[in-house]
Amino acid sequence: MPHLTLSKVVIPYTQVLSAKYRPILAAINAVLVAGLCCLFTSQGYAIDVQSSLLSSAEWSASSHNLKQQNFQLTLEPEFILRFDNRIKLTVLSRLRSISLDALSPEKVTDNAYSPYSEPLFIGNSSEFELREFYLEIPTDNYYFTLGKQQVVWGKADGLKVLDIVNPQSYREFILEDFDDSRIPQWMANIETSVGEWDTQFLWIPDQSYHVLAGNGGLYTPTSPLLVPTPSAIPGLSVDVQPFDRPRRTLKDSDIGLRLARFWRGWDLSLNYLYQYDNFALLYQRRSITDTGLHIDIEPQYRRTHVLGGSFSNAFDNWVLRGELAYFSDRHFLAEGFSDSDGITKGAEASYVLGLDWAGLENTLISGQLFQSVALNRESATLRDKTDSTVSLLVNHTLLNETMELRLIWLANTNIGDGLLRLRASYEWQDNLKTWISSDTYYGSEEGIFGQFDDNDRLTLGVELGFE
Amino acid sequence: MKMLLLFTGLVALFSSPTFAENAANNATNKLANGEQVATNINSRDEGEAVSRKLSIEMRDKRGKTRHRETMGYRKYYAGEKRTVIFYLSPKNIKDTAFLTYDYNNPELEDTQWLYLPALRKVRRISASDRGDYFLGTDMTYEDIKLETRVSTADFNYQTLGTCNADGKPGLQIEGTPKTKRIARELGYSKTLSCVDNTLWMVRQSQFWDIKGNLLKTVTISNIEKVQGIWTQHNIDVENHKTGHSTKLIFSAVDYQSPVPDDIFTTNAIKRGL
Repeated sequence: MPHLTLSKVVIPYTQVLSAKYRPILAAINAVLVAGLCCLFTSQGYAIDVQSSLLSSAEWSASSHNLKQQNFQLTLEPEFILRFDNRIKLTVLSRLRSISLDALSPEKVTDNAYSPYSEPLFIGNSSEFELREFYLEIPTDNYYFTLGKQQVVWGKADGLKVLDIVNPQSYREFILEDFDDSRIPQWMANIETSVGEWDTQFLWIPDQSYHVLAGNGGLYTPTSPLLVPTPSAIPGLSVDVQPFDRPRRTLKDSDIGLRLARFWRGWDLSLNYLYQYDNFALLYQRRSITDTGLHIDIEPQYRRTHVLGGSFSNAFDNWVLRGELAYFSDRHFLAEGFSDSDGITKGAEASYVLGLDWAGLENTLISGQLFQSVALNRESATLRDKTDSTVSLLVNHTLLNETMELRLIWLANTNIGDGLLRLRASYEWQDNLKTWISSDTYYGSEEGIFGQFDDNDRLTLGVELGFE
Repeated sequence: MKMLLLFTGLVALFSSPTFAENAANNATNKLANGEQVATNINSRDEGEAVSRKLSIEMRDKRGKTRHRETMGYRKYYAGEKRTVIFYLSPKNIKDTAFLTYDYNNPELEDTQWLYLPALRKVRRISASDRGDYFLGTDMTYEDIKLETRVSTADFNYQTLGTCNADGKPGLQIEGTPKTKRIARELGYSKTLSCVDNTLWMVRQSQFWDIKGNLLKTVTISNIEKVQGIWTQHNIDVENHKTGHSTKLIFSAVDYQSPVPDDIFTTNAIKRGL
């Protein structure tokens, strides 16, 4: 069964467009930011400048034969400028160099980054990215956060239901910390209080989407649940067409609204998002040619309304938390050739329910059930109607929190595959931390986790901070 | 003979255990009883609100030290006390923040949140974690919340006598947890504190673990008046089990500048200072 990898999706025109306009866009960004600075800080002076640098190195090897897999160096300089009118400017960038071609920063699906947010690729192995660049402007009734930033919704750990405002890079599947893999976007984030409710409004003109590992990548998705796998038909040919990408800055903006409050011991939120689904939909156009069946894959992005909410409360040693989201317009890979374009429309309801237990000293044990239910499907889909994943987290600290031991287990109960992550870290000094970790996949290669069964790895890391 | 009988009688009278106990009890009775001492401690003026810097120095038994710089705010409301602590440095813990609502009604559990910058999420934490050590220090979450106050909801207090700490005389009070469950939650089976009965401040406390072993000693020093309020500037905690110690140094203590209400919110701990 030949797998169609997303890596085949190559969009030359976009590269040209991006390369052509990148300096202009960078200039626009700089002017925009400078303008904002002048506008809001004309009466203020920087009274405090904080700078820091986080540097880290990671060496990983295959768990099967201990052969070196990758060596990665990262530098993350951060600057924070505080003005005497309470305005704050945060600038965080990241320079990353990776030794393994199969994890090369540039080896990802094209066109996922908007031209405003695309990292600068340096050669084949390095990238420089302006991760965050935002102004925080508090006023009497409003709190503005304007610029490139991350917004995190929800209460779940390791599994995402409401944490979908920013897209994510899956270049390393889900092994990177979300803080590192989340793709910050240019947006306006306005917060205010309406009665007892904290209200947040988001306007996101920056159209960046999930980034997946590209051709020959270590984590290129191959599961039939994620990418079409046309049956081996003699004479079958497949072409991947350029992404049909939303281009209208205003009309294609995402908007979001969150209402949150503390009520009788409960942390509650109601969330709404009108966004483009961050995964491209791989529509198929089939035709008969002289040589046989031909399929054109036409990746497109589609909008959906997302309506959801979250809650958490503590009871004795326990914390109960959860989140729920309803997606009005979901698109699933159709089963076989039953659907003319390979995509079936429907809706989706997802939820995660988590229970944390802190009954042992310096220990947190947390279990979660995540379920996604496909609703109103127009035809049969490759995925099950209900897809379930469970997770277990055990975290224990020792030696006055200088040592941390952590276990994370994720298991999909439909396919029976999973991922087991173990990690031990030790803080030698205030600014020096080391860790050793293992990531082990198991199960069928058709599963989300099992598809990477050959990628089990051991990792050694060191992190050094400077202020 | 009469003289001999009288002498014998006096010796018997003064040397009897009943007399000695009565004398001691009379002396103790003249001292404020434990509950009164606890009430006096908790009634001491702490200001309606306070802001201050807090430097934390942690030292393990091999002498390795770690430093933390924080900014803390506390404010009393009609039904509760709210406390928030923001970590400013070092880099690996910067932006971590802890928020707690401590309700006057003992029936209500405290509400606590922790903001973890690595997750960029405010995490609700169980108030039953109060016996856990706070971010690597030798203070528990409960110790941090109480500061120099004592918990009459969790402990029974009795005065044992007089004591001396930091060269100052005081009253020695013993605290025993009201239930075994409380003892387990807090990790203490007994406390012994020397309370300055002119300022009504604890100057030194010792804590025993639930197995009855001496666990730690807390010494409060450098007590000075700030804006008319007696204020501790140093708290030293020595953990006898682990050999680890924590030194807390308060500075820039300010009871007069207004502390905005919205700093005690989950939004505020997410945004940081």
